[in-house]
Amino acid sequence: MNKLLLVILAMLTCMQGYSQEKFTISGTVRVQKTGETIIGASIKAGDAGTFSNDYGFYSISLPAGKYTFEVSAVGMLIHTRSIELGNDMTLNIALEEEPKTLDNITITATSKNRSLSSPQMGIERLSTKEIRNIPVLLGERDVLKTVQLLPGIKAAGEGNSGFFVRGGAADQNLILLDEATVYNASHLLGFFSTFNSDAIKDVTVYKGGMPAQYGGRLSSVLDIKMNDGNNQDYNVSGGIGLISAKLNVEGPIQKDRSSFLITGRRTYADMFLKLSNDSALKNNTLYFYDLNAKLNYNIGDKDRLYLSGYFGKDVLAAGQTFGLDWGNATGTLRWNHIFSNKLFSNTSFIFSNYNYNISIRNGANEFDIFSQIRDLNLKQEFQWYINNKNNIRFGLNSVHHTIRPGEVRPSSGQSSINLSLLQKRYSWENALYFTNTWKATDKINLTYGLRLTSFSILGEGDFYNIDNEGSVTDTLSYTKGAFIKTYINPEPRVAASYQLNETSSVKASYVRNVQNLHLISNSTTASPTDKWVASTNIIKPEVSDLFAVGYYKNLWDNNYELTFETYYKTMQNQIDYRDGANVFINSDAIETQLLFGKGRAYGIELQFKKKAGKLTGWLSYTLSKTEKRINGINNNKWYNARQDRTHDLALVASYQISKKWTISANWIYYTGNAVTFPAGKYHVNDQTYFYYTDRNGYRMPSYHRLDLGATWVLKQRKRFSSELSFSLYNAYGRENAYTISFRESEDNPGKTEAVQLALFKYIPSVSYNFKF
Amino acid sequence: MRIVILFGLILSISFMSCEKVIDVSLKDSEKLYVIEGILTDREGDCVVSISKTKNFDDDNIFEGLGDAVVSVTDDEGNTTALPEATTGVYRSATLTATTGKAYMLEVNINGQTFSASCIMPVKVKMDSLYVKEEGFFGETIKLANVQYEDPVVKGNNYRFIQYVNGIKEKNIFIRDDDYSDGNTSTITLFTAPDEDEDEIKSGDKVRVDMQCIAPALYKYWYSLDQGASGGSNSASPANPVTNIEGGALGYFSVHTVESKTVVVP
Repeated sequence: MNKLLLVILAMLTCMQGYSQEKFTISGTVRVQKTGETIIGASIKAGDAGTFSNDYGFYSISLPAGKYTFEVSAVGMLIHTRSIELGNDMTLNIALEEEPKTLDNITITATSKNRSLSSPQMGIERLSTKEIRNIPVLLGERDVLKTVQLLPGIKAAGEGNSGFFVRGGAADQNLILLDEATVYNASHLLGFFSTFNSDAIKDVTVYKGGMPAQYGGRLSSVLDIKMNDGNNQDYNVSGGIGLISAKLNVEGPIQKDRSSFLITGRRTYADMFLKLSNDSALKNNTLYFYDLNAKLNYNIGDKDRLYLSGYFGKDVLAAGQTFGLDWGNATGTLRWNHIFSNKLFSNTSFIFSNYNYNISIRNGANEFDIFSQIRDLNLKQEFQWYINNKNNIRFGLNSVHHTIRPGEVRPSSGQSSINLSLLQKRYSWENALYFTNTWKATDKINLTYGLRLTSFSILGEGDFYNIDNEGSVTDTLSYTKGAFIKTYINPEPRVAASYQLNETSSVKASYVRNVQNLHLISNSTTASPTDKWVASTNIIKPEVSDLFAVGYYKNLWDNNYELTFETYYKTMQNQIDYRDGANVFINSDAIETQLLFGKGRAYGIELQFKKKAGKLTGWLSYTLSKTEKRINGINNNKWYNARQDRTHDLALVASYQISKKWTISANWIYYTGNAVTFPAGKYHVNDQTYFYYTDRNGYRMPSYHRLDLGATWVLKQRKRFSSELSFSLYNAYGRENAYTISFRESEDNPGKTEAVQLALFKYIPSVSYNFKF
Repeated sequence: MRIVILFGLILSISFMSCEKVIDVSLKDSEKLYVIEGILTDREGDCVVSISKTKNFDDDNIFEGLGDAVVSVTDDEGNTTALPEATTGVYRSATLTATTGKAYMLEVNINGQTFSASCIMPVKVKMDSLYVKEEGFFGETIKLANVQYEDPVVKGNNYRFIQYVNGIKEKNIFIRDDDYSDGNTSTITLFTAPDEDEDEIKSGDKVRVDMQCIAPALYKYWYSLDQGASGGSNSASPANPVTNIEGGALGYFSVHTVESKTVVVP
């Protein structure tokens, strides 16, 4: 706490010396047609500038005088007006959408400007407009897959919505939907994400330098904001694709004051399965659905309430004998309050749930397996626009986690399976944070802050001591409500930028992150049955320290942008599995299956982006290394992590041919993942087995793929518009290795052979979207 | 938990996946000894086979290694030497194991010594063996089922070996009593129709050997199946957890055996 006070004092000292009287302009930025608030709109007056916050609110303070006041945002016409400032003003701005004509496409180039002056680095922001033309697997637009085309962010596998950021594992990404944690962001074993792009307003990815309001995961933050709903007019839009259909309905409840939004999506491939003559397909079930809903209500000028929810579920069944369903549910109730034109407050109550259920009906072995993680979460945040040089954010966050690690229930009296309920695990996570963005000079900007987190493991429950071989030596029992152990971690967050000239800047940052919830998985693909476990007396909080330096340059009238970042990251208390580990073990002591160690990752990331014109897109390249050292694996030596890939390249381009046609393409190339291949073979149990020496000593073959897409606008009227989208995934039919396995040769049993499995070859798709 | 396999099946059904044999250049590495030692409650079963690992590209003929000195000692200090019967195969025609007793295997070869010990588990009777039809992804397949009465004390481990018309099936069937302690238990010897094995048909002779194995051997078969069979499900293939000390691959299992045979109706 002393450190915190010191930093607060230091911060207060930089606020002195503003004697000239200033006035404040504040307000909310919206889209004129829909009333949707705009996140990250740029507001400029004189030499002062700011961005609208997550709720569209801004505040800017200036001495009395005449100014040109300018508001701009991606895809919007610039709003300019002259103002004469003599007292505090409220200016609510409604921006008009940029008309879709070819002549003025360059209009927004200036607002697309990556902020050179902001110290924030490692950030990528995507609006759903930007991702709409990118070709995707089976025509399902997907933010998580688009994000993977950015430098430093790697796909977890073919067609997979899981991703790795700067050497971090897939569970080290904090994925938020309207502030609620989404514990499993994938559908259908990872091929689709839980985010229906129709319901989404804004996607922000922090791959480093995350501000102090975020915490809880080591590697990245993916902050997804849902649309609020049109408060001007009723709107229905929808789409029919190869595998799913979507419908979005929104409109005002009371014009200008309140609105609602409901978006649903369901896959219908299973309905075709039913029509199939092949009985192997007919009797199986495989589908998912998503439902997003949101209500918001303006109570006067100073208060606004939002209620948003998400519910999604996957259902998979093989005849009567096997079933698996899983899904997330989240709910967020938020209250914005404007205390003054300089102080903005948001209070959120958040609920988040993930669970799965497996049912097995196999003769005498009839049982269900259930597992769940559930959060109750309170966030309070203040944004205090002190003056044009200091902008403070501070708040607190308190989350109660309940984990039900595994519950096995016999489903009939004769089942040979016993009732077995693993102990529920309770924990309480708290954070206090503050951060200040300080404009030190015209050229130097600093953001400094601290997130102080505590993680308390609560009773009741049994905890264990474990020896080096993984055997329980001691059981410690605690009563209900007992504080078993509390981990306290200060997480400093510092970033600085130095503007070299009008078009270029350099930035540096350091950030520490702590993670207390860990995903236990023992398979190559992300599985819905992967387990979340909280830190225990043995599983220590994971800690990462990330240092990054970057260079940013805007070129040719801001139409092009060059970004270069390099980073070094260390990770402590990383988790791996003992040889022969069984994560389905019927024991509360999951720690007996685990090993602990550390990790390191470093790399450089380059992005060259063309932001305006008929042709837009980017080229991104990452050169990186990720290694782990775990006691008990690879003779305790450093080895390549599975997600280690040396080169990673993505080329994304979209070209507007005419008012009706847009074509797009992306090409991806990366070095294969690190993988363990056999060092030899031997004979036991009357067959051939393989033996291994170095962990991850080999690489999968390089991966590359070209996707093509085209969008054809059929109708573009005021009341009705429609379009057809075509895409071809893996256009040149590259057989990329999904897995490589080893076996006795089928043709020649005297030999062994390596077999590559490739998943997708030429997947064409078409979808129809409409809006009225 | 064969969930992952089921996922794999669904994937291959849902999408057009394609499989092909590829060349992977694998480095040669140091050759290790492989010891497979078995001692049961049945006379004539006691056998220790010794061989070495080979490079991946070599053929699958694993020659036995002769000139080893092999012996089994029980916890009362009685040592039985196992003479070489055929090259690399060491046998005792009479040695059997008694429940509750510990046995230690010792192998001396080319100046290296390997040892392993194992306690003979309690025998659990196989109550019945029958073949039943099961629905699997819409197909109906015939599968063998074994029923037995698990004793009330936790820690029983089983292994089942299936022979169809005298041919041993490759799948490793193991079961513990972690979730089914003290119950009348049935294990379905599940073989997916697309696996290499021939499906069981009417008229086939199905024999099942039921073994009560030591917990360390359950772990061995589990980790062998997960990590060493060459499949791609495990995130990190690894050598199985062996009870042999001294750096050899393989295992030493002291277990009970009971066989039953049925003709498929």
